[in-house]
Amino acid sequence: MIFNSLTFLIFVAIFLPVYFKLKGRARLLLALGGSYLFYGWWDWRFLSLIVISTMVDFVLGLKMSLAKDAPSRKKLLYVSMVLNLGFLGFFKYFDFFTESFVTMLQSLGLSPSVHTLGIILPVGISFYTFQSLSYTIDIYRKKLSPEPDVLKFATFVAFWPQLVAGPIVRASDFLPQFRKDHDFNWNRAMSGTAQVLWGFFKKVAIADSLAPFVEQCFAEPQAFASVNLTIAVVFYSFQIYCDFSGYSDIAIGFARILGFDFPANFRTPYFSRSFSEFWTRWHISLSSWLRDYLYIPLGGNRHGTANTYKNLMLTMVLGGLWHGANWTFVFWGFLHGIYLVVQRLWGHTFGAMMRALRFPKILQSTINIALVYFFTNIAWIFFRSPDLATAMQVINGIAGMEGFAFVNVMNKFVVLKGVLLTGMLLAVEITDFKWDYGRLVLQKPAFRVASFAVLLWLIAIFGTFGSNAFIYFQF
Amino acid sequence: MKKSTWIIALLALTFAGDRLGGWALGTIIRDGQFRYSKLYRSEAGCDILFTGSSRGLIFYQPYIEEKTGLTTCNLSYNGLPVDLAVTLLKDHLDRHTPPKVLLIEVTMLDKRMNENLMANFNLYAPYSERLSTLLKEKFPKVYYGGEVSHLYRYNGEVFQRALYYWKRPDKDWLLDRVISPTMIANVTDQPIFNFDFTDDMLKQLAEVVAYAKAKGVHVELVVNPYYPPFAATIGNLGALTAAIEKATGLPVRNYATSVTDQEGFGDYQHLNKRGSRFFIDKLLEDGVLPAMEKKE
Repeated sequence: MIFNSLTFLIFVAIFLPVYFKLKGRARLLLALGGSYLFYGWWDWRFLSLIVISTMVDFVLGLKMSLAKDAPSRKKLLYVSMVLNLGFLGFFKYFDFFTESFVTMLQSLGLSPSVHTLGIILPVGISFYTFQSLSYTIDIYRKKLSPEPDVLKFATFVAFWPQLVAGPIVRASDFLPQFRKDHDFNWNRAMSGTAQVLWGFFKKVAIADSLAPFVEQCFAEPQAFASVNLTIAVVFYSFQIYCDFSGYSDIAIGFARILGFDFPANFRTPYFSRSFSEFWTRWHISLSSWLRDYLYIPLGGNRHGTANTYKNLMLTMVLGGLWHGANWTFVFWGFLHGIYLVVQRLWGHTFGAMMRALRFPKILQSTINIALVYFFTNIAWIFFRSPDLATAMQVINGIAGMEGFAFVNVMNKFVVLKGVLLTGMLLAVEITDFKWDYGRLVLQKPAFRVASFAVLLWLIAIFGTFGSNAFIYFQF
Repeated sequence: MKKSTWIIALLALTFAGDRLGGWALGTIIRDGQFRYSKLYRSEAGCDILFTGSSRGLIFYQPYIEEKTGLTTCNLSYNGLPVDLAVTLLKDHLDRHTPPKVLLIEVTMLDKRMNENLMANFNLYAPYSERLSTLLKEKFPKVYYGGEVSHLYRYNGEVFQRALYYWKRPDKDWLLDRVISPTMIANVTDQPIFNFDFTDDMLKQLAEVVAYAKAKGVHVELVVNPYYPPFAATIGNLGALTAAIEKATGLPVRNYATSVTDQEGFGDYQHLNKRGSRFFIDKLLEDGVLPAMEKKE
């Protein structure tokens, strides 16, 4: 089931009143049943993977807390990791590594007879795997006590608002929230609804309006003038931001209505002044997961400069691979790793140079924001392209500057609409710094009425209602 | 504010804003200079009427009017599917004095045309029973969505164009760029291009041709120029024109390779203004477009 579908609206219209009518275990059962229905609507067969992961991690968590020594706990953790990452590896990466292996052998002049399995990727597997892993790892580290109630644990793993595309909420943040029933709270419902509506606007109005132009250009980059490819890359940066942060907003908003607090997943990432800042503003739940469960265990920045760079590169490359089984994602991660390393190497020198030139602070910030945005877009080209060759075609097409003139902009009305909508997005995000819309929604009922109505009107005029899937579903 | 008051206020404001906004946008669109706004105001009467997909837009109207001394109207739109083109044509013929000549660019008989474009025409549904019926049949959710939310009727590119042409004429709507060197270099890599036309499309075309002829309109069926090396990649143009001739009983004038000047193309399928002028001269020479009557 996807958020921007009629089926989901019907689901929510039934789920919410029943949820608040029920109490205790009956409510938990409804939350779990609703979550399984939400997921099974796509393909009920893959529910078995979630159920197996849930059961195994639940039992291992309990056993780990009872284990007498560290080696026994470690063994249990390995079982959890092998199972969870095994599912992920098989369903997401088996075909990819097989194909890459065959290509490598072919390049050596061999003709192996190896076949891929054409495996279907279960929606959301990367998200719930990481969420579930955070539970067993935290118990192993003795940062978390195991959850004794299987119903609560299963609901934590499968909770429908964030099951298929995050945010990845840690067990230590989420499980304690199941300890009490959350009564319906008007203020929470209002602020949650505001975030849901804003998320829908970002998804159906902005992301889905930008998508066709981007799709066209990346499908056949050699057929488009440089100006169109440039617009497509800029549009894609906003498409993926609005698509993914829109999903997160809807998920966080619904969770808040239901009584749960999820941490923010995006904080105006394109206003970042450095790449390290970017990763504290973009897909925060994944970047912090990778930091805590991969980068720091690898040694983080504790063992000298060379090791720090190695750890950064490894974390970013694996973070890229997490997104999808394609060399384009690996290269995207590699590029971000390079950016972080380069920033550590020369960031200070660059800052000192700007200060020495007595650039005003606002100009320094603007230059930094522009540089980060520019290089982020270079990386997005690889992220969006179906293969590395296409990415290079896009880059060459832009760099060639052939036909870089307004007259060559194709479908100017689509471009105009895209510019208008991204302008609205930026205007809201910039002014939100000053006036904090979330607070205004809660404190000023008139503002709330007006903002809800305006969002509904804008969705009616600009929305795309074709139930287009969210980009991050494929991850 | 009480919760119930708040909910009522939200519903009332949303509904009132939707109706008010719908009315305001409707007024702007109805009074605009865009071709379909004029059509449904019954102010699109002309001597020469054109229709087609984006390839029908290359009939550069200011030049035709200058050369023929006649008035023109073009109902073409990017990706216009046949059933929508037929609906618009019939509406035009019913609401105006019939034109002297109707030119139909027939390569729109292709399944690749944008079927979803119809949903964009929801903003004109209140003015046409025929269009409403078509939308109810093909896009019921869109049609009834527009009944629920009047603002939703304006959700689409056609609205944006109508807004753009609110105060300015749309007669020079024509791509004016020159085909890029990369496109020229890549033309040989193009896969074979085949028209995917159906019997139903042929039937609809034949029906509208008969409808126009019954009103005394002289109908011309044409294939507009392609960039010649691209035209060579078309696999079944002959089959398309033969099927159309059989269905309509009219000859199809094939100008697919009639323009050879590279500078006259915007891309593989569209002439630019320069190419259009050259092509129009050819149509005049061949008598497809009526020549200017000499004044006594």
